[in-house]
Amino acid sequence: MLDSLKDVIRKSSIHACLINTGGCNGCDIEIVALLSPRYDLEQYGIYFHNNPREADVILVTGPVAEQWKENLQRIYAKAPNPKIVVAIGACPLSGHVFNQEGSAIYPPLNEFIPVDASVPGCPPRPTEILGALLAVGPDAIAAKGRQKE
Amino acid sequence: MSSVIWYLYEFARKGWVENFAGAATDREIVESPDRFRDFPEVIRELCIACGACTAACPSPAAIKLVRTNDKDAENGEGITYPVINTDACIRCGFCAEVCPTDPKTLRTGESHLIREEFTILPAEKMFVIDDYLCIRCKKCMKACKVEDAIIEEDNKVMIDQSKCIACGECAKTCPVKGAIKGIYISNVEGQKDVINLVIHTLEDLIEAKQDELKDLPPEQIMKFEVPFADILEEAKGMLPEEEQIRDMVEKVTDRLKLRIITWNDSKCNNCRLCVDDCPSGAITYDEEKGVQRDANKCLRCTTCYQTCPFGVAGSYVARFLLTSTELQEDKIMVTVKPALLPFRG
Repeated sequence: MLDSLKDVIRKSSIHACLINTGGCNGCDIEIVALLSPRYDLEQYGIYFHNNPREADVILVTGPVAEQWKENLQRIYAKAPNPKIVVAIGACPLSGHVFNQEGSAIYPPLNEFIPVDASVPGCPPRPTEILGALLAVGPDAIAAKGRQKE
Repeated sequence: MSSVIWYLYEFARKGWVENFAGAATDREIVESPDRFRDFPEVIRELCIACGACTAACPSPAAIKLVRTNDKDAENGEGITYPVINTDACIRCGFCAEVCPTDPKTLRTGESHLIREEFTILPAEKMFVIDDYLCIRCKKCMKACKVEDAIIEEDNKVMIDQSKCIACGECAKTCPVKGAIKGIYISNVEGQKDVINLVIHTLEDLIEAKQDELKDLPPEQIMKFEVPFADILEEAKGMLPEEEQIRDMVEKVTDRLKLRIITWNDSKCNNCRLCVDDCPSGAITYDEEKGVQRDANKCLRCTTCYQTCPFGVAGSYVARFLLTSTELQEDKIMVTVKPALLPFRG
């Protein structure tokens, strides 16, 4: 009964999906901190589902490694419209420490998929990620077509 | 059972329902604290374009120095200042830490504006302990007038430069010659010149005595004296104070060990073993002249001395001592002895 109640309530929340494209996991850990009771992402109506087929928001970390060039576009195509992409950390923006001679990385991220928001930092604070999600999430989805229920 | 009653009691309170409905994270947690180190703030006017921030930055492409094309500014050069690329900056604060301007050009937060304390006493000398020579007798620690200025850490005796008042008391009590050194802070370039002058003069003097050295029987030493006055006269152009020169030369000659290579052409059989062995190409072979050695290219590595089966090359070690007596003139005593390598006759 509780699960079906959760399902009904979560229909109206923003579903998020996290993709690490070959980063160091530091940003992913900050996102895990967001899910913890201290920051508690779900109180703002954001639900981490990690399923691109149901995602409203795609969070991307990491500097886009060789294998991710095509897979990233595949995942983006799978997500239903309207969808927004948030680049988290310095890696998807500039490649950062990985952006050195001989490394097989292809930043910036917006060469492959359209990016709606970016959060610089190595890693960014959980609250900065939360701020970007809240700033861009509900409004952007509404602007792109779906009304906030 | 008691816990269930406690829960029922808690749930029944009116305040609990209100808190449950309005549950939210504390503002304190959501906001960044004051101590949080954010992206560096740049104050353009203070920059001296030293480039320390770009050298300290661990992230590629996070910081670069730019110069404006402003023709109206002084010297027509425009101003130079660092630009932070927030896409790559990791907010480590190293740039603000190394920034040498006062006040700082780059600011990140209070934690990185700490400056190391140092004594403001105008001292001519800086005293350091040579760990190689120190015998850990700790007499200097007892003699030191300032508390905690000489510290023992990790079985090493060290002078804390932020507390030292450069009184020189430790150097007087030290039983090992040269273990505590008083280094002159000023005229570093002049000091370098004096060291080079002393070494080159002494080397030239010994090389001039090649013929005497060649006839030196094994296990015998050659001694001679060099008057100090000549060197002093020449060094006066490099360093202003005579006392400083004397101190400098004394320190140099104390630890100096020169290698001398002699060349006896008459013994050479043109076997050319040494030509290939010489690492610097100082030894060459010519059909007319035979094997030749260029002293200017020579590294004094003694490889030729160890290779030559006929004893053409000789290797000697020279040591020095500066004596200063009131009765006679100051002079540098020179001792030359054959190197302790296997001797070939």
